[in-house]
Amino acid sequence: MTELKYIGKETPRPDGPDKAAGRAHYIHDLSRPGMLYGKVKFSEHAHARILRIDTSKAERLPGVQAVITAENTPEVRIGFIRDNFALKKGKVRQFRDEIAAVAAIDADIAAEAIDLIEVEYEALPGVFTTEEALADDAPLVHEIDPRGRPRNDNRLPLRFHHESGDLEAGRAAAKHIASGDFSTPVIQQSCMGTAGCIAEFDLNQQLTIWAKTQIPFLAQRDFNQALADMGLAGKNARVIVSALGGAFGSGLDTHAYEFISILLAHRTGKPVKIVYNRDEEFAYLSPRQSSQVSITQGCDDEGQLTFREIQVWQDNGAYTSWGATFPTVMMLPATSLYRVPNIFFDAKLVYTNNTYCQAMRGYGNPELAWALESNLDDLAEAAGIDPFELRLRNCNQPGETTPMGLKVTTCGLKECLQTVADKIAWPQKRSQGKRRGVGMASLFHVGGGGRIYRSDGTGMILKLDDFGNVNVYFGGVEMGQGMYSALSLAVAEALGVKPEKIFINPTDTGTCPWDVGTHASRGAFMACNAAIAASKKVRARIFERARALFANEAKKNLKKLHKKNPDFKAADFDVEAEARNGEFELQDGFVFLPAAPDESWLRVDLSQLLRAIHFREQGEMITAEAFYDPPNELPDWEKGYGNMSATYTWGTQGVEVEVDTETGEVKILHLVAAHDVGKVLNPQTLKGQTYGALAQGIGYALYEEVLSEQGRILNPNFRDYKIPTVAEMNFPIDLEFIETNDPEGPFGAKGIGEPGLVPTAPAIANAIYNAIGVRIHDLPITPEKILAALKNK
Amino acid sequence: MTHYDYHRPETVEEVLGLKRVLPAATFIAGGTDLMVRIKNRVLNPPALISLRAVTELGGIEDGEHTRIGALTTIDELCRHPLIAERYPLLAQAARRLGSRQIRNVATLGGNLCNCSPCADTATPLLVYDAQVQLQGPDGSRQVTLAEFFVGPGQTCSSPEEILSQIILPPPPADARTLFMKKGRVKMDLAIASTSVVLVLDGELCQEARLAVGSVAPVALRLPLAESVLAGQKLSSELSAEVARVATTEIAPIGDIRASADYRRQIIEVYLRRSIDQLAGIVQ
Ligand SMILES: Cc1cc2nc3c(=O)[nH]c(=O)nc-3n(C[C@H](O)[C@H](O)[C@H](O)COP(=O)(O)OP(=O)(O)OC[C@H]3O[C@@H](n4cnc5c(N)ncnc54)[C@H](O)[C@@H]3O)c2cc1C
Repeated sequence: MTELKYIGKETPRPDGPDKAAGRAHYIHDLSRPGMLYGKVKFSEHAHARILRIDTSKAERLPGVQAVITAENTPEVRIGFIRDNFALKKGKVRQFRDEIAAVAAIDADIAAEAIDLIEVEYEALPGVFTTEEALADDAPLVHEIDPRGRPRNDNRLPLRFHHESGDLEAGRAAAKHIASGDFSTPVIQQSCMGTAGCIAEFDLNQQLTIWAKTQIPFLAQRDFNQALADMGLAGKNARVIVSALGGAFGSGLDTHAYEFISILLAHRTGKPVKIVYNRDEEFAYLSPRQSSQVSITQGCDDEGQLTFREIQVWQDNGAYTSWGATFPTVMMLPATSLYRVPNIFFDAKLVYTNNTYCQAMRGYGNPELAWALESNLDDLAEAAGIDPFELRLRNCNQPGETTPMGLKVTTCGLKECLQTVADKIAWPQKRSQGKRRGVGMASLFHVGGGGRIYRSDGTGMILKLDDFGNVNVYFGGVEMGQGMYSALSLAVAEALGVKPEKIFINPTDTGTCPWDVGTHASRGAFMACNAAIAASKKVRARIFERARALFANEAKKNLKKLHKKNPDFKAADFDVEAEARNGEFELQDGFVFLPAAPDESWLRVDLSQLLRAIHFREQGEMITAEAFYDPPNELPDWEKGYGNMSATYTWGTQGVEVEVDTETGEVKILHLVAAHDVGKVLNPQTLKGQTYGALAQGIGYALYEEVLSEQGRILNPNFRDYKIPTVAEMNFPIDLEFIETNDPEGPFGAKGIGEPGLVPTAPAIANAIYNAIGVRIHDLPITPEKILAALKNK
Repeated sequence: MTHYDYHRPETVEEVLGLKRVLPAATFIAGGTDLMVRIKNRVLNPPALISLRAVTELGGIEDGEHTRIGALTTIDELCRHPLIAERYPLLAQAARRLGSRQIRNVATLGGNLCNCSPCADTATPLLVYDAQVQLQGPDGSRQVTLAEFFVGPGQTCSSPEEILSQIILPPPPADARTLFMKKGRVKMDLAIASTSVVLVLDGELCQEARLAVGSVAPVALRLPLAESVLAGQKLSSELSAEVARVATTEIAPIGDIRASADYRRQIIEVYLRRSIDQLAGIVQ
């Protein structure tokens, strides 16, 4: 590839106009003939035995077509360690446990029917903190494990551990040490579009499900397993993804409501739609997990880090989602952000009777960055070294292999640090006083896929038609992040056609090739790499056919030109001979010979050539397929070792704040976000991704928290769950994209979906410390916490 | 279930007549408080009587006393030149109420009848000595706003009465005014709010009117703190003393939005800062 024509150019996203005009079809907009509305009855206790469920009144309500419970449906197990059930039997373990469900002819009747279901409980004592859950006489959340063996404590059977170097030697070598306990709260993904699905069986018992998911193919696998549990082994679930109003990790698991709509659709023989309203989304969908991190780091007199010790405790809630594996991502910065020779990392997860949690953007990384980067400033102070300087001295380098075995290809961390320092006016602003201060924090994340599953691959099909259109079929998901924009530019660039000729088809397991899921910031990296591979095949086939067909098409062009202009003089050129060489180029939708790139009759429109390939004896259509599986490894999580990603991203954010020491309010004056993105694919969508991530990072830092008491969520609405609005984002933001042109990246790009929110909170906390000398350990940094910390200073 | 009849009378007389035959019906103005409660199934009225087509309940009338129709939207308060000129505190508070979409439909009458201690228009109206006119089957009566607010969600009007007008006496001449509101984010229900009106004569505070929201069962005036300020020479020490006294006149609660201590702290800081700022005292 020589000069890039489309990649890197500010381009409006193809899905933008319809979404802005409210014309995109979200799950909420979809309807099927004869469709019923499903609704779920949830538990009213955090932990209780179910003594009796009486559904008779609901069944008699006119318009109700089915009422299901665990008693009258096959057992459908869910969750990646299969400790959860679509409908709960015997006992409930959290407030949101699904006990029963109805399908009715409209949503109002379904809601009324739910109210008519009577449940009698015997309340049980619950456990609501990791400490309570680990107490010797703690009530058990699960009495038996998924294989039916008795359990005797509340620990999860998942272990994430890493040790490298010699921790004691590292401790002995340290001249300065800082320790701290840090925590982060449960927060909501706060998607604009709430969760929902429609399940429909045909008369062959084949299932189609329109789902709000980020993992259509893993969902297909889960749903097929459910079909088998329902006695329909061998039947298939076709998963279709409609437009998604944001997912942020909430679509990385299959959810009880999806299995319930499958059960209801099967029971009634009609399509069944379940869509959560905002209250349900808040109360009954899994939010981001909280975390407790104890960290100690040490350095020598020069500021070289000598050791890092991290213990994570995790309240998993009552069941296990993929989100429970978030320590896998914590391990990345824990072992590999800055150079540390001696490391201990361990994470322990426990069941509680709190709402069970799931993935969210950053997947453990913001939680760990909060502890690591806050603590690093404490260490800098203990060592008497400027925090920027300390970070520089321990900065990662291109080409290194980290203690976790992560192979660093390109690394722009140093540039990120320097850029932030320059833009935020470090060190002048460090000593400005007046309750103002600056702080910085960095991040390290996967940027070339993330192998947490047996395959980290993505498939791509490019199907060209007689009009020169390129229909793209791929298994990843556009959920608002700008995937279609990156992918259409990548196909246009790699193939040599205009972006407006690229049509990306809705994700559908029936038509699209496999993809593991749109997570781990892998969407654009993977899809664009697959697109490049598929485009190469398309070009090769077209050029191969052009050897025999090109000359004739060029001559047709010449004839047309002569007709228009009898005086037209064509250059003397042996097109047959040149074409037989098979050397072609395809750019902007024209096939031409590199030997005569500008001769107009020798520029054959791609659609014309495609028709020539198609409409002849033994004609052909051009379709190509590629499957890109990146060069990375599935780590061993008990050892904490393995090159999980094909490349890694880096970034640093710097913040200037002013703190009102009487009201505790933190005002952000300026924010600089410098990210190593490999290569900018589309500046517009990249900026969109990063601004959005920063807003989420600021929400995490200052406002957001799902409050609960004895397992009951106290603020299940936007009235009392606060996210930043444009009024909170009212300060200058400098986005600085560092291009390191990664060799494995498509056009050099790395994944950048998650990183923007990772270091924001610790950067703000470090700035607050600089401004007023108090260290906040627990997110969010509320005014009341600031005032309390000032009081205790 | 959220099924109800909807009536749209056009005169106050029709409104009162409907209410007589449908005693369980609820009045609805902008609906921004009411519909939330219906959707959350806190309320389940069989019928709604909309006040929105009753033109005599709208409009802002000039005169010795200014009369604001109960159906005046919050957005109108933000923009009306008369309000901006004579009762700027009310415009300041209105601009901080909810979002643009909410302000477009929410009404002043609804904000007062809902009788939340955090209603943003309550503290400005209290310092302007507003009266409200209630109209019922037995005619109309006028009560002070302080009498009107009885407790959270509770006013002195009877279920058959509607609030028709808010009546504002002329504001004190040359008053300086400041509204302050603390939310968790900018667009939020107040966890504490203050309205301050000062009339100054050189360094002397001739008159002081202070009101606070979200820190007692109803929004209220602070007579004690006002008396400490009135007639005194302004100073930063005095502002601090007034603010301290103010905290003895309130009874905040702690809830998920803020602790009682924090609410008290904000009232103290905001009152002190308001007085300092209006008096031109530089800290
Ligand atoms: C998203 C959102 C944000 C909000 N933010 C704020 C905020 O920042 N500050 C704030 O103060 N409030 C806020 N509110 C609350 C609400 O918008 C205001 O209280 C508003 O002024 C209510 O007016 P309304 O016309 O919508 O009242 P409605 O909902 O129509 O009525 C409220 C109550 O008053 C009764 N009522 C209304 N008018 C009359 C009348 N003329 N006579 C007798 N009874 C009557 C109704 O029966 C009902 O009980 C917010 C609400 C929402 C939904």
